[in-house]
Amino acid sequence: MTAEPTLAEICVVACAEAWRGDGAVLASPAGLIPALAARLAQRTFEPGLLVTDGEAGLLAPAGDGSVTEGWLPYRQVFTSVASGRRHMMMGAAQLDRYGNQNISCIGAWARPKAQLLGVRGAPGNTVNHPVSYWVPRHSRRVFVPRVDLVSGVGYDRAAAAGARYHGLRIVVSNLAVLDFGTPDHAMRLRSVHPGVAVDDVVAATGFELAVPAQVPVTRLPTAQELALLRTVLDPDGLRDRELG
Amino acid sequence: MAEIVSLAEAIERTVNDGDTVAMEGFTHLIPHAAGHEVIRQRRRRLILVRMTPDIIYDQMIGAGCASKLVFSWGGNPGVGSLHRFRDAVENSWPAPLELEEHSHAGMANRYVAGASGLPFAVLRGYRGTGLASRGAGIADISCPFTGEKLTAVSALRPDVAVIHAQQADLAGNVQLWGITGVQKEAVLAAQRSVVTVEEIVDTLEPRPGGIVLPGWAISYVAEAKGGAHPSYALGYSVRDNDFYLAWDQISRDRATFSRWLDEHVLGATPSGARQVSSARPGAVR
Repeated sequence: MTAEPTLAEICVVACAEAWRGDGAVLASPAGLIPALAARLAQRTFEPGLLVTDGEAGLLAPAGDGSVTEGWLPYRQVFTSVASGRRHMMMGAAQLDRYGNQNISCIGAWARPKAQLLGVRGAPGNTVNHPVSYWVPRHSRRVFVPRVDLVSGVGYDRAAAAGARYHGLRIVVSNLAVLDFGTPDHAMRLRSVHPGVAVDDVVAATGFELAVPAQVPVTRLPTAQELALLRTVLDPDGLRDRELG
Repeated sequence: MAEIVSLAEAIERTVNDGDTVAMEGFTHLIPHAAGHEVIRQRRRRLILVRMTPDIIYDQMIGAGCASKLVFSWGGNPGVGSLHRFRDAVENSWPAPLELEEHSHAGMANRYVAGASGLPFAVLRGYRGTGLASRGAGIADISCPFTGEKLTAVSALRPDVAVIHAQQADLAGNVQLWGITGVQKEAVLAAQRSVVTVEEIVDTLEPRPGGIVLPGWAISYVAEAKGGAHPSYALGYSVRDNDFYLAWDQISRDRATFSRWLDEHVLGATPSGARQVSSARPGAVR
């Protein structure tokens, strides 16, 4: 008998879905839940993914663990990303309606209220290849009408930026899955996680969210996915702590 | 030609108040011992440059060495924020810290331009972001062949580059291997350079994926065994993950940080940094 899936497990599988259909691209996850998701997708429905380990290796499944199947040091990443054949899942301190992302600072840039980590690869990633986002705490502090500093480029700015491979795929939060599948690429509610009401998501979002008449429930992990997560990819259950 | 000296001498001869200093390393081979020596020599108003500043720059900023940081990501890897960095930016403690923010690719390309003797690098990126309008060293540029709008980023030409490597030979040639960042570009872009090494060996043996920096491209080599700690040197040491976790607590509070700095840096001597010339009578000076 299998225990019910936890919220973290539902989120891992929802994040894994970001890479469905990508084939042989570089899958670059930032953070634990996206990392488990990329490795889960690679072990199940997207075996062609080249999964980065966040340092310099490419991970491939090997029995109950992983082996390094390739070597891609930092500087070589930059020569690969411009081809569009990479799909990264990043975090976001702020996201707006068109997917502009901020990870640099909260408040005025010259004297911020909170200095965050810095734009890191976002300016290049978002114009050079697909990007998805993982937001562990869905709130009006994250989903804002206007971000304080555009680090990652959203749909309303992409054309003017001359972005050849811009594409924001999905945003997964602890409440829902969102995408940009509207005529003007404004953020849309794609599914709500089990037990979450549409109104909860709307209330926790600081801008007008496109809400279809029928909003499905995020799919549950399969028995195989659960088994992989629990016994192979994350036997210590670190995933649940990230959403604690 | 690289001169083999003690770490204290290397820093004294290269790093001046107000200099632009790039101490590079990515996850691995981060030059902590050299950073501590800069703190001990009480250098001030440095413009610190690094793609991914982590706890060594947090320590230098908290110690009052820096007036500006040029970077693309600043954090305690796998742990969270850099508290001394944030305190400097948000509250000007112990001194105001000006920021020059770039993307990773922007920083890497700026080093390459500097190392190549070119005034700027060109990349696709920045357009559409908030950096494009306010960042120093960022400008729009049109491709002279197609007219495509791109971004130019100015070359980085640090006064000093400081890196840590596994080995140097007696002639001051250096080899590093394992996970590498932009150490080579940083050294070649800089006016002066210091390489600390785990060990000085008679001859370097080629390593798969190894990067060799010839002695003629380096100013000073200094032995600093364990000089990457709490980062690591592949083949010599392992990463001290507990220290990265502990740093979160040490650095949160100004008083706790200051006590730590007094005890572990200001009151310490360079660890393992014996003067090679006295230890090895035949060593090249």
